[in-house]
Amino acid sequence: MSTQDSNGGPARVIPNWESCIDCGACEVACQRTWDLPPESDRIQVVAIEHGTDNETNKPMQCYNCAEAPCIDVCPTEALHYTDNGSVRVSGDKCIGCHYCGVGCPFGAPQFPDGEVPEAQESEPLGARGNGLMDKCTTCEPRQENDLEPACSSECPTDALLFGTPEELSEKLDEDNVSTPFNEESAQIIFGDDADEVMGD
Amino acid sequence: MPTEVTYGLPYDQWNWRIGVYIAMIGLAGGAYLTGYVADLLAEKRDSRQYGQVATFGYLVGLGGLAIGPPILLSHLAAPFRAMMIPLTMTNLGSWMSIGAYMLMGFGLGTTLMFLWLAFGTNRPHVQTLDSSNEVAADGGEDVAADGGPAKAATSDETAGGFRGAANKVGLMNLLDSIADYTRPSRRNRLVVGALFGIFAAGVLVYSAMAYGSGSTERVALWDPTFLLPVQILTGLGAGLTIAVGLAALAERDVGRPIQNCSLGAAGLLAGGLVAVLATLFLLPEQIPEAQPAVDNLTSAYALEFVGIALVGGLLLPIVLSIAGTLGVRRDALSDSGAVGAYVAAAALVVAGKLALALSYLMAAEFTPMPLPV
Repeated sequence: MSTQDSNGGPARVIPNWESCIDCGACEVACQRTWDLPPESDRIQVVAIEHGTDNETNKPMQCYNCAEAPCIDVCPTEALHYTDNGSVRVSGDKCIGCHYCGVGCPFGAPQFPDGEVPEAQESEPLGARGNGLMDKCTTCEPRQENDLEPACSSECPTDALLFGTPEELSEKLDEDNVSTPFNEESAQIIFGDDADEVMGD
Repeated sequence: MPTEVTYGLPYDQWNWRIGVYIAMIGLAGGAYLTGYVADLLAEKRDSRQYGQVATFGYLVGLGGLAIGPPILLSHLAAPFRAMMIPLTMTNLGSWMSIGAYMLMGFGLGTTLMFLWLAFGTNRPHVQTLDSSNEVAADGGEDVAADGGPAKAATSDETAGGFRGAANKVGLMNLLDSIADYTRPSRRNRLVVGALFGIFAAGVLVYSAMAYGSGSTERVALWDPTFLLPVQILTGLGAGLTIAVGLAALAERDVGRPIQNCSLGAAGLLAGGLVAVLATLFLLPEQIPEAQPAVDNLTSAYALEFVGIALVGGLLLPIVLSIAGTLGVRRDALSDSGAVGAYVAAAALVVAGKLALALSYLMAAEFTPMPLPV
């Protein structure tokens, strides 16, 4: 398991859709671990190909993109990269305009209405309420304690992989599966490391 | 075609407030720019009626700003934080920041241009006692009201229109003084107006880009190639139509300048209509992901889009603008009939612009999101 200090880009959680059984354990783990308001969906099991015979449900969350569209469009620089390249939101700078929500192709930004004290708006892991932007933090505090993010840790089928681009590539190779992302998405998420994760 | 992902319907990141905001700033930017062209024509041809259209163009710009941005602020989770725009909007790569600064420059510009035309004893484009006398014959009379005895510029008896409103609240003398004190020479005023026109043009472009620009252009219906012409042409056309309607109502008659402006507005609206139709028929060919949203426009939101926006807000105003002008020119319509047609066209374009913005928003937002996987 990697931490946020690993080389080769920040550690991320990405889905292995072929292993997902749509149990929702990741959603529960995230909400319970961080005591999130019910409106918050830092990770969501969403419908893929909704309304068709091929409809399935898969987990989606923030991928801490290397070329993050949310950072591009945020007018107040509430969204920014941390030193290790992860994407963070400053609750005390966010104005709740939802521009990031419209710009993100993965539906990661959330705007929970739950009321939180002003002090919590300022906390570096997201505002968690007040209609301000909130999203997955890849469980930064857990990583500092050498723990994987709660969602990947508690996924019963290893459908959520955690690691640096290099480690993710290795895990995908071991399971002989590919990421669910196309080249455009991979470039947004992994930037210069896209080829490494996507393989041939 | 990318896989569609549904995050639970309805997917409503933005609501009607964003639609109203986008419609209002589009109207405002378009009204300023067309008003400025009328201002130039008024100077060149010494025409008071072009001046009237210019004055009302700037007024519509102010009105759009008075309505749109406050409604946007009411949508934000932290409106007071957002009001500190110069301090908070620091990412100049974001169209929302660019738009905020454009709106600030535009707000200053349209306020000054309106003030300089509508207030003061030496304001431009007003009826004079004779051509050699630069003092306004209508003095404090509402510039909108033609005829009647000339009154002193500071008369307390002034009534009607925006000057009347200013007088009623006791601000007219102050505004007249500020206007006369700050107004540059004629040539410099137009140069300043052109500089502020850059901000107005920026606002017009922003009215399209505000829909959701960014590196991924996630919402296919809001493809800038199609959306920019739609917003620019409908903004210019609607802005001019409203300015013409108000000028005609104030003048109570329609001279050639107002008729020409009305035909110009019809042309711009027709351009907007073509741009919208191009979106309907060409966008899905080029970007298949846009098909569900385009289908929404003509089915789920048919009343708003086809009924109010296209027929009510574009087609009918085009017909009314042309019919009013041709009717007067061929003596088939009285001046009051033409005024009625122009005013009706103005009212319809407001409803149409709002419906267009809202249907573009709702039809796209309530579409499953195509994820690039």
